[in-house]
This record gives sequence, C-alpha cells and structure tokens, in this order.
Amino acid sequence: MKVEPLLYGDRKVYTVSAFNRGVASWVARLPSIWVEGEVTEFRRQQGWQSVFFTLKDSTDGACLSVSMPRGRFDGLRLDLADGMAVHVFGRPELYEARGVFQLRALSIEPLGLGAVLAGLERLKQKLATEGLFAPERKRPLPVLPRRIGVLTGNEAAAKRDFVTAVQARFPAANLLVAQTYVQGQAAPTAIAATMQTLAREPEVDVIVLTRGGGSFEDLLPFSDERVIRAVAECDVPVVSAVGHEQDTPLCDHAADVRASTPTAAARLVVPDERELRERLDTARAALARGAGAALERARSSLTRDRERLDRAPALLVERKRAGLEGLVGRLQALSPRKTLARGYAIVRTDNGIVRSSAELESGSRVDVELAEGGFGARVEETKA
Amino acid sequence: MTDEVSFEDARRELEQIVGKLESGQASLEEAVALWERGELLYRTCVGKLDAAQGKIEELGKRVEEARP
Repeated sequence: MKVEPLLYGDRKVYTVSAFNRGVASWVARLPSIWVEGEVTEFRRQQGWQSVFFTLKDSTDGACLSVSMPRGRFDGLRLDLADGMAVHVFGRPELYEARGVFQLRALSIEPLGLGAVLAGLERLKQKLATEGLFAPERKRPLPVLPRRIGVLTGNEAAAKRDFVTAVQARFPAANLLVAQTYVQGQAAPTAIAATMQTLAREPEVDVIVLTRGGGSFEDLLPFSDERVIRAVAECDVPVVSAVGHEQDTPLCDHAADVRASTPTAAARLVVPDERELRERLDTARAALARGAGAALERARSSLTRDRERLDRAPALLVERKRAGLEGLVGRLQALSPRKTLARGYAIVRTDNGIVRSSAELESGSRVDVELAEGGFGARVEETKA
Repeated sequence: MTDEVSFEDARRELEQIVGKLESGQASLEEAVALWERGELLYRTCVGKLDAAQGKIEELGKRVEEARP
C-alpha cells in the first residue's frame, strides 16, 4: 500500500494514520512464528471480538501484547490462566488505530511436561555455565545461628515440621518466619523479594527455604530463574528444603546446602543442644587435664632439678676424694717403703743417707732402717 | 553483627586451646594463660547457651511469642 506524504516545502510529513499504516504494512511482511512466554493479564469478555493477554518472558520480564479472535480462542478449549507457560503461534502486527505492536495469535499451546522439562534443562545448563552451582560458591552454615530466617508457604505442614524439629534440638533457637506465595504466578518474585528482606533482617545468619511436597507444577516456582538467582545472591547461606527427597527443584543446586525434608533442614541449621553442652564440658575437662599435665611436667622437672642440686655437693666431694685417692696411690707407689719391703735397707749417718762406702770408716755409727723397724750398728770394715 | 565474640568463635578458640594444651608443647606460663583463657571461653559459651531465649517471630506481623 502506497503511503503518500504531505509536502511542506522540502519537508515530507506523514499523518499518524499514514505512518501507522506504513509501519503496519512492513510488520505484516514478517513471517508467522512461535513465541514462548508466561500468560499474564488475561482478559476475555463476552462482548469483545478478541481475547487479550500479555506474554511475559520469565527471565527478564520483557512483555508482548497478544490478541486472538474470540471464536478461535474458544475453539481451542484452553483453560488459560495467568502464570501458564505457553507457546503462541502468530504473526506480528501493528494495531493501526492505536499504533500498538502485538502478536496476533493463530494458535496457543500450553507447554507440555516435555517442553517444561527441556526448558528447565536449558536453564540448568545456562546457570551452571555461569557458575551459579559451583561447589566453591557454597558457604558453610553457622554452627549456632543467632537467628534463622524461615521462608515458607501459607500451608502449615512444612513450617510446623521445621519449627518442631528445630525446637526439639535446640529450644533456644530464634526463628524469623516469613510466609509468602510459594505457588502460582506471583510466587517467584514473592520468594525472591522475601528472601532479600529476610537476609537484611538483623542477626539472620542463615535462611531456610522450605515448602512441603506438591506436584511437579506446584514446585516449579523453585526452579524459576529469579528464585535461583535470589538464592545464589543471598547475603547469608541458604538451605533449600523443598518438597520431598525425590524432588530436586533447581534452587537446590544454587543453595549452599540441600536438605531432603524440612526436618532434615532443622538438623542442618541448629546443633543438638545436649550434645553441644556435652562437647563443651568435654573440652573443659580436656582443658583442665592439659593445664594439669603441663603443671605436672613442670613440677616433676623441678623436683628432678632439686634432687640434682641436693646431690651436687656430695658428688663434688666424692669426686675430689676419688681424685685424691688416686693421687695418694700414685704417691705410695713412689714411696721407698715399697722398696724396703722387697728387702732393701736404708743406711743413715748424721750426715744423711749413705750412698757410698767412702762416706764411712771402721767404727762409724750408722742407723739402719728396714721395712719394719730398724737398728743401730757400727761399721766393722769398709769395702771399696 | 555485634562486637561481642560469637559462640562459634569462642568455641573454635576453646578447641584450639585444648589441642595446644594436649599436645604438651606449651610452657608452664603459657599453659596457665591458655587454661585461664579456655575457662573464660567455656563460661562464655555456656553463658550464651544459658542466656539464649528461644522465640519465634513472624516477619510482617512482628508478633513475638514465647516458646511453649
């Protein structure tokens, strides 16, 4: 369709109608395609020619208006409701009267289980590639959290199971319970926002995300990208206790610890008070023992030193005495008495020991010393 | 966060001290100092356990209820 501009001198100007018609004719050349999204703001009324809804991208919230002729829509017999994930086959068009871009739906298919599972697998791969599930991201849980944030649904069972188990193990635990939507279209944003609020509450050291068992669809909000990112980005460690043992919503992978049930989560976040007190008492006993042992070691080494000190003078005298005795022995070995004992005798005059007969003459008086005793004598004769 | 030592930190330090004492490496003066510190940590931990009063609050409602 040819769109003619108005001419104002050199300037070409289009009326709104002509502009919309022109763009609409361009848009109309685009091919019909399948678009995946979540149904929101679904509107259907008896008097209307078409039904309307907004198709939303659950990852970033991008929106697309969709309309479908009412007769055709009713023919599909869809129980379409907000929050449903669907594939819409349609052609892009510009609604000329309002200049609004929209998808004119020709067919709508609710996402089957297979498609949902495939979507979850893609999301899992994407987030894993980003490193959101990496083991090194996992933080240890506090031994004794000052306050435990509990994020749960309005149904009582999971909350009751968790609270009962916590109080049985550790009666003094402080719990801050936040109840929010855990099911349906509003759940992902509600869970993500509530988790942030809980994490900012003073003294909250850990958050437990818990929900009782439910159908696969019921648990889908816990596999929503917004919830998974909120878990991964949470300022405090998060324990995921969603559904039953066999359920593994994707938030389990992003959580710091996964618990199979609310009761198991309680065992992870609080210690057993009795056991804790016992361990403290054991540590204290070991402390006293350790200090006592150090004291005992010091005391006995002191005693040993004292004993050595006491023995030291006597030892010294003993050693000196031994030295002296050795000396005396050597002295005695040199003594002439030993020689005398072998039969020798010492002859003395008033001038001393006689070593030569020349020192004597007949009739000289001499003293003779023997090994035992001695005698006086007179020299009869001398020999050269 | 408070300036006060947390239960975890106190308990961790207590266990380290016990380990050190049990290894027999500490000198007597050190051992006595460690023992005193350990006793203090023990009393801190037990005191914290004794003083803790369990309570359940509802976010939003702010209703505090004493535990049964």
